Amino acid sequence: MSDVLIELENVGIAFDAQRRVGGNRFWALEDVSVTLRRGERLGVIGRNGAGKSTLLRVIAGILTPDRGRVRRAPVSCQLLSLALGFTPHLSGRDNAILSGLMLGLRRRDIVARLSAIRDFCELGEFFEQPIASYSSGMVMRLAFSVAIQVEPDVLLIDEVLSVGDAEFQQKSGTALRQRMGEGHTVVLVSHQEQQISALCDRVLWIEHGKSVLEGARDTVFEAYHRDLHLSGAPA
Amino acid sequence: MRQHLIELVLFSTYAELRAERARSYLGLIWWVLEPAMQMGAYWLVFGLILKTGGPDYLPMLLIGLTLWQWMKSCVTHGGYAVWMNLPLIRQVQLPPLVFPLVQMLADTIKFFYIFALLLVILWCVGYPPNMAYFALPLVFVAVFLVAAGAGFVVAAVVPLLPDLRFVIEQVLTVVMFLSGVVFSLKAVPSPMREVMELNPIAVLMEATRGILMRGEWPNWVGLTKVSIISVAVCLIGVAVVARLAPRYPKLAT
Repeated sequence: MSDVLIELENVGIAFDAQRRVGGNRFWALEDVSVTLRRGERLGVIGRNGAGKSTLLRVIAGILTPDRGRVRRAPVSCQLLSLALGFTPHLSGRDNAILSGLMLGLRRRDIVARLSAIRDFCELGEFFEQPIASYSSGMVMRLAFSVAIQVEPDVLLIDEVLSVGDAEFQQKSGTALRQRMGEGHTVVLVSHQEQQISALCDRVLWIEHGKSVLEGARDTVFEAYHRDLHLSGAPA
Repeated sequence: MRQHLIELVLFSTYAELRAERARSYLGLIWWVLEPAMQMGAYWLVFGLILKTGGPDYLPMLLIGLTLWQWMKSCVTHGGYAVWMNLPLIRQVQLPPLVFPLVQMLADTIKFFYIFALLLVILWCVGYPPNMAYFALPLVFVAVFLVAAGAGFVVAAVVPLLPDLRFVIEQVLTVVMFLSGVVFSLKAVPSPMREVMELNPIAVLMEATRGILMRGEWPNWVGLTKVSIISVAVCLIGVAVVARLAPRYPKLAT
């Protein structure tokens, strides 16, 4: 059991629907149980509004459950967030340091990786300019180049697999797949089944905030497709 | 973990100051120009028109407003920091205290710049340096703790109750007038004066003016009491933020 990193047991998360006295609450997650072991690559599938992103934020430790239990080994868990803490009037370099610190890196580690970040984002002299002068594509290049430097024990990915123009999409996608293939523990949320099929060995299927099935990739996908077919929804 | 958070707070403070400088054409000059304009307005009303200021009104006003500006900035900027950073809090696990602390440190650095200028002005108009200056760090620590404590409490509650923002400015204006910032408490008749002197901010104002204008050492008993209150306010603020922290990632700005 020592390789169990995170274990969720009947976890529920409630949000306030409106900001007013006596407003209603809704349960974004109602009853989800899942176990994540070291080195595992877990994919999370489900329709829109099933609670996939909320689940990732519980695993990341950002959200505390309103019911159920979360047990976690002393490991670092990080959601792959792009442009975290980016400030328009700061240079690409300063934003890289700030964002790296927010993602949990030590300053000396970011400074040591600055040249790698600069090379990866291919922004040239713009790296020293305020990011207010960047196009949105350039900002995403910088954001991805910083985020890919973070190496938590458990990497959590919510749809972000590649960004930027076609060329950079390929580069960023390759870098991320390489990172996922290095034996890291990964949880991936995606609407693209092909990506989950290609990258994950286990799959959790959730629906309306409840875990429906968790297990080997092919078994879960088979059941999921059968359900989509029966309910008439497009696969 | 702790060292990482210290690095994050320090670099964010630097980033905040740099970004603020870059946001306007005059940049750093506004740090001084804005309080100077405010001082000018009070001097016009109380010093020139109403003539209620007294002989030392200008230095008294300069000291009072410089100190008050620092405290007010900590309460408002720090107080809105968690609320303003909710999008970030939804994405990353960080102690929410980081955000108000960054704002308060940035405001403290700005205060030191303005205070250095204030000292030069005071020396030029006939209030030279004196031995009591050595007590200033203690007074400043107490001022920071009172302001930070109030700022933490506001920071804790505003995300849950954003409507509070409309009230805070008014409350701070009342507190300013009750704390002898723009007039001396000595001008207030008894027994109201004794009541107003129970206000810790008024005690800190008088202590700073005594040091800078008259070379007087602060009233140690009074300063100790204020410091105890300051630490208590600060601890309450930290505890409230810590208590409400799990609710922030679920809130919208």
